[in-house]
Amino acid sequence: MASKITYASEMEMPFSPVSSGDMSWNRTGTWRYIRPKYEDKTPPCNAACPAGIDIPMFIGLVGEGRYDEAWNVIREENPFPGVCGRVCFHPCESHCNRADYDEVIAINALERFVADQAPPLEAGSPVRGRREERVAVVGSGPSGLSCAYHLAKMGYQVIIFESLPQPGGILRVGIPSYRLPKDILDKEIADIQAYGVEIKTNARLGGDLSFGDLEEYEAIFLATGAHVSRKLSIPGEDLEGVGSGLDLLRDINLGKTVHIGRKVAVIGGGNTALDAARAVLRLGGIPVIVYRRSREEMPAFDEEVSEALEEGIKIQYLTGPTEIIGTNGRATQLECIKIELGGEDETGRRRPVPIPDSNFTMEVDTVIVAAGEEPDLTFLPEDIRVEGKMVSIDKGARTSEKGIFAGGDMASLDRTVAHAIGFGKRAAISIDCLIKKRDVNSVLQGVQVGENGILSMAKYLSEVTRRRSPHVVAFEDLNLDYFEHAERNERVKLPVSERIRDFREVSAGLTDGQALKEGERCFSCGVCNGCENCSIFCPDLSVITDGGVVKYRINYDYCKGCGICIAECPNNALSIEKEAK
Amino acid sequence: MKRVISGNKAVAYGVMLSRVQVISAYPITPQTTIVEELSRFCAEGKMEAKFIKVESEHSAMASIIASSVTGSRSFTATSSHGLAFMHEMLHWAAGARLPIVLVNVNRAMGPGWNIWTDQADSLSQRDTGWIQLYCEDNQEVLDTIIQAFRIAETVNLPVMVVLDAFFLSHTSEVVEIPHQEEVDGFLPRFEPQLRLNPDDPRAYYGMISPNYYMEFRYKMQRTMEETVEVARSVDEKFGHHFGRTHGLIEPYLCEDADVVMVTSGTVTSTSRVVIEQLREDGLKVGLLKMKMFRPFPMKEIKGVLKGVEKVGVIDRNISFGHGGIFAQEIRSTFCNEDQRPMVFGFVMGLGGRDVTPEAVEEAIRYTLDNPSPKEEVIWIDLKR
Amino acid sequence: MKKIHIPKEEYMVPGNLACAGCGSPIGLRFALKALGEKTVIVIPASCMSIIVGGFPYSAVGVPILHVAFATAACSASGIRASLDMQGDRETTVVAWAGDGGTFDIGIQALSGAAERNDDFIYICSDNEAYMNTGIQRSSATPYLAWTTTTPVGNPKERPKKDIMAIMADHGIPYAATACVAYPEDFIRKLKKAKGIKGTRFIHLLSPCPAGWRIASDEVIRVARLAVETKVFSLYEIQDGEAYTINYQPKGIPVEEYLNTQGRFRHLTGEEMAIIQENVDHQWSRLLKRCEG
Repeated sequence: MASKITYASEMEMPFSPVSSGDMSWNRTGTWRYIRPKYEDKTPPCNAACPAGIDIPMFIGLVGEGRYDEAWNVIREENPFPGVCGRVCFHPCESHCNRADYDEVIAINALERFVADQAPPLEAGSPVRGRREERVAVVGSGPSGLSCAYHLAKMGYQVIIFESLPQPGGILRVGIPSYRLPKDILDKEIADIQAYGVEIKTNARLGGDLSFGDLEEYEAIFLATGAHVSRKLSIPGEDLEGVGSGLDLLRDINLGKTVHIGRKVAVIGGGNTALDAARAVLRLGGIPVIVYRRSREEMPAFDEEVSEALEEGIKIQYLTGPTEIIGTNGRATQLECIKIELGGEDETGRRRPVPIPDSNFTMEVDTVIVAAGEEPDLTFLPEDIRVEGKMVSIDKGARTSEKGIFAGGDMASLDRTVAHAIGFGKRAAISIDCLIKKRDVNSVLQGVQVGENGILSMAKYLSEVTRRRSPHVVAFEDLNLDYFEHAERNERVKLPVSERIRDFREVSAGLTDGQALKEGERCFSCGVCNGCENCSIFCPDLSVITDGGVVKYRINYDYCKGCGICIAECPNNALSIEKEAK
Repeated sequence: MKRVISGNKAVAYGVMLSRVQVISAYPITPQTTIVEELSRFCAEGKMEAKFIKVESEHSAMASIIASSVTGSRSFTATSSHGLAFMHEMLHWAAGARLPIVLVNVNRAMGPGWNIWTDQADSLSQRDTGWIQLYCEDNQEVLDTIIQAFRIAETVNLPVMVVLDAFFLSHTSEVVEIPHQEEVDGFLPRFEPQLRLNPDDPRAYYGMISPNYYMEFRYKMQRTMEETVEVARSVDEKFGHHFGRTHGLIEPYLCEDADVVMVTSGTVTSTSRVVIEQLREDGLKVGLLKMKMFRPFPMKEIKGVLKGVEKVGVIDRNISFGHGGIFAQEIRSTFCNEDQRPMVFGFVMGLGGRDVTPEAVEEAIRYTLDNPSPKEEVIWIDLKR
Repeated sequence: MKKIHIPKEEYMVPGNLACAGCGSPIGLRFALKALGEKTVIVIPASCMSIIVGGFPYSAVGVPILHVAFATAACSASGIRASLDMQGDRETTVVAWAGDGGTFDIGIQALSGAAERNDDFIYICSDNEAYMNTGIQRSSATPYLAWTTTTPVGNPKERPKKDIMAIMADHGIPYAATACVAYPEDFIRKLKKAKGIKGTRFIHLLSPCPAGWRIASDEVIRVARLAVETKVFSLYEIQDGEAYTINYQPKGIPVEEYLNTQGRFRHLTGEEMAIIQENVDHQWSRLLKRCEG
C-alpha cells in the first residue's frame, strides 16, 4: 500500500505535475455508511430437508463436474445419498425457488446421480480422532444407521443391535427393490461400516438382548421403528388370505416365497399400501387399492401414486371396508361402503363420512391391510416415558432416562426416511454433547438450518465454515438476470410393460450430461457459488478472492459501500449492514 | 550553403535541421507556406517526421503536447486567430513544461479580417508561460528555430519564435543554411527527463490541489528568470558553432545616445536606417532591438538604457486602455530605479500599415523635441 | 447460471475518487483487463480525470496523460505519432472521454482524427450529461431527461445525438457499443479493436448514480435494463458499413427502464409512449442497417 506523499518544499517536487505514487493511500472505506458482508443464508431446499443436506453446495459441485466432492458434501449430513436419491419424498423440491421461474431443480435425481458415481469406501476410513466411549444403537434402520454413522465419524465406538437377520430396517424390509435395489442399500451400509460401526444382526432387544446388557455403554440410541400394522377392526380380519402390507413386503424383501392370490384388495393410502399393491402386481396378482379418501388426501408420495396408476393399478377412492367375508375360513369377498368427505379433522384432512346404504362387495382372494403402522414398545423398561404409543423425547432426542435416546418412527409421526436420518443425526449430536458435557439445547440452537429444527452436522463440527443466517431465501431475494430458462432434466423410467415383469428398478439415473445441466440450473439460493460477480463489478477493487471455503472477502479499507456486489449477487449471498459510526 | 529564401522557408529549414520528429499544424495565412514546405520535406523524405494534418490549431497544439510528452521533438506553426485558438493549449504546454517550439507569424486579429502584420496575436499570449523570441530577418529566423529547441530542452519551457507577416514570411533574403552535421553538433538528440511510456506508468498533469499549484507556478517563474542566462549562453555557443549570434537584445549606437528607440521585429531594420541617417545629421540617437520578450531581460535592458535621458518605444500592438505593450514593459523595468529614462510610447503600423522611415523619424523627433510625452499613447501615422 | 468470465489481471489500485457505485471505474477496469499493460490512456476533462487521482498520484497502472477537454482524440494522435517515431508499435493508445468530451466539445478533434484514421482506440464513457460539473445536459442526454439545465418544465426536446452513425460515416474500420453491465461483450470488442489498425471507437454506456437519480447499487441493473429495453443496443460496425447486433435484447417495455430513474420521474404516460416509439424506431433502423 502506497503511502501519502508530502512535499515540504518546492525543491522536493518534480518540475512538472507528474505522479510518483498510487492512490492506495486513500482509504475510501471512510466514505462508507453501509457495509456489505458475505452472509450465506438458508436455502429453502436445505431448510426443508429433514436430513439437513447442504443442497446448493452439492449441486454447485455437480454443476462443475466435481461429483466426488458433491458426494462428500451430502455425506456430511446424510450417509444415504443413494437411498434418499431414490426413496426420499424430496420436500426440498417442493420448496425450490425455481418453481416460481420455470421448473424446480431435480434435486432428488441429482442426489442419486452423485451417489451412483461414488465408489465403495474402504474399511478403516478415517474418523476425526478415536475416542474410547462406546455407544449402543438399537435398530439398524435409517435412524439408527445415521446416528451410528455420525458417532463413528466423531470417533466413538458404536455397535448396532438389529433384530432381523439383515441390517437396514425399513429400508431393507419395507421398500421394494424396484424403488430401492438391495445392492444400493448394501453399499451404503458397507460405507457406514467402513468407519468401524459394528452391526449385530438377529439381536432383538427384549429377546436375547436385555436392557441390562446395554448398561456398559455411555449412551443408548433406540431406533426400532414402527413395524406393527394397525388393524382395521372390522369383522373377518382373521380369515386366511388376509395379511398386512408390512408382512408382505418384509417377506418379499427377505427373499421368502410368497403366495399371493389373483384378486387382491389392498386397503390403505400410504406408501405401504402403494408398495404392497405394486409388489402384488409384480407377483402376478391384480391389485385394487381401497382408500377412504380421495387422491389429494393420500399420504403416499405423489410420484408413487402416479407410477402405480401408470402401471394400471386401480384405486377405489372414497371407499371404506366394512367386512371381510370368508368361505371356509378363507376370504372371498370384501364388503365396502361408499364414503363422502365431510369437514376437516384434527390432521387437516377432510373427514370420511360413510354414505348410508351404499354398501357393496368385491370378489377377492387376498386382502392386504396397510392402514398404518405403530411401534412395538413392549420391550421398554417402565421408567421410559411413553406418550400416545410413542417414546417421549425432547429436542435433544433424550428419553426420560438419562443416557437413553430415541428417534425415528418409534418417537415421531414424521415417518419418512429423511426424517429418520435427521433423527439419527440429532441423537448423535446430543450423545456427543452428553459425553462432552455440553449444553445440548444451546448447541442445537446454534447448528440449526433455518428455523424449523433442521440440523447441520457441518455447522456442528466446524466453528467457521458455512455459517449461514437463518433467513430462508425467497424468490424475490434473487437476481434473476443471471439465469436463463431451462427445462428440468428428468430421470428416464422403464416402460410399464418392462417394469411390472419383476422387481427391477423403475427409474434410471440422470446421465452425466443431464446432471451437469441440471446442476447449472440451481439458483444456489443464499449460498455463494463463486460466480465472481461481486468482484467483477466492484468499482473499488475491494472484493478479494481468498480461494478458501469463504470464497471472497471485502476490503473495508476501500469499499465505499455502493452495494453493487449485493445487487449483482445472483444468489443473495451478501447482506447489507449499517456502518458503525 | 547560401540561398535566397523567404522567412517561412527559413522556418522550414530550421525545423528540418533541428530533426523535428512530430509536426502538427493547421494552415492559416500567412503561415501556410511553412506547412507546405514541411509537408514537402516529409513527403520527399528529407525529414523523418510524422506530420499530423490536424483540423484546428487547438488540436495542433494538443497533439504536439502529447507527442512531446511521449518523447519526440515537436513543432507547430500558426498565426493570429490560430494562435488565439490555441490559447488554452499554450497554457497547457507551458504548465506541462514541454520543450515545444512554435512559430507564430505575427498577424492582426479580427474583426474584420486582416492578414497583415501586427503583434497583437503573440503579445496576447504573454502570460501563458512561453518564451517569446522576435526575429528581425530570415537568417535570424532560421537560427532562432535551432536555438529555440536547445533553449526549450534545457529549461523545459516552450518557445514561441515570432516573425512578421509578409515582411519576413513572404520576403526572400539571403540566408546561410547550415549543414545538418553542424546543427547536429549544436543540437543534441532530445532526451527528456520524463517520457510517457508503458514501462514507467505515471499520470501526467493530473489535478493539482491548492496545496501544490503555487509551487509549480513558482518553479516556472524561477525557470523563466534563469532562461535569460540560458538563452544568452545558447546564443553564445551558437556563435562558436556557426560564427554568428543574435543576442537577446541588441543595442546599436547607444553608448552616447540622448535618445534610444526600442523596437522589435522588422521595424528594427527600418529604424536602424533612420537612426544611421539622423546620426549623420549629428543627432545622438541609438537603437535597442528587443528580440527576447519573455522572459523580459530587465537586467540587460537596464544595462543599456540606464543613464539614457529619453527612450522611445515603437509598439506594433496596443493593449487597449493602457497603450503599447513594449512601452509598458520598459516603463515597469525602471519604475523602482532612482535613475530612469523618460519613456515615450509610440503605437504605429497596426494591421500591417507600413512603418515607414518617415514614421520612425517622426517618433524619434517627437522624443527629441519633447521633455516628456504629451500623451500616454502617441499614435503615429494615424488618420485623425 | 450465466457466469461471467473476464481476465484476472488488474491494472488499477484501490483508492480511486469515483462516487460510490460509479460505472466509470468499472468500465476502465474492464478496458485495462482487455488491453493489458502496454497501454497508454488519454483522459480529457471528465469525471475520470478526478477518479484516477490528482498529483502526485494515479490509481491506474498504465501511463495516463491528462489533457484539455476538447483534445482527447488529437492528443491520442500525438502520442501515436510519437510512439511510431520511437519505433513502438506495440503500445495501444486509448482515449477515454466522457459524453461531453465526445459528443460536444471534443467532436471536432474526434472527427478530425477519425477522418485521418489515426491509430488509437477511442472510448466514450457515456453517462448522458455533464456529471462532473453537476449534471448539465449534453448532446448525449436522452430526450426529456431531467438535468440541472433541463429542469422539469424546460425539457430537453431533442433526442440523443447518434454518435455511432456519425462515427460510422467517417468510414473508420471499427465502431462498437458496449455497456458496463456486459463485461464480456465489452472486453471482446476491445480485444478485437486492439487487433485493428486505425481509429476504433467504442461507445460505452456507464450510468451515473448521482445524475440518473438512482441508488448506488443499481448502476449495473439499470445499465442492463437499458440494453434489455433496447434503449441502448449492443452492436458493432465494421468499416462504417457492416452492422452486427451482438446481443438480442429481451425487449422489455422502456417504461421499466425509465421508472428506475429519478431523472425520468416527471414523465407522463404519453411521454413514455413517445419514448417507446422512438426506441422502437431506433431499433428497426438498426435492424435495417444490419440487413445492409
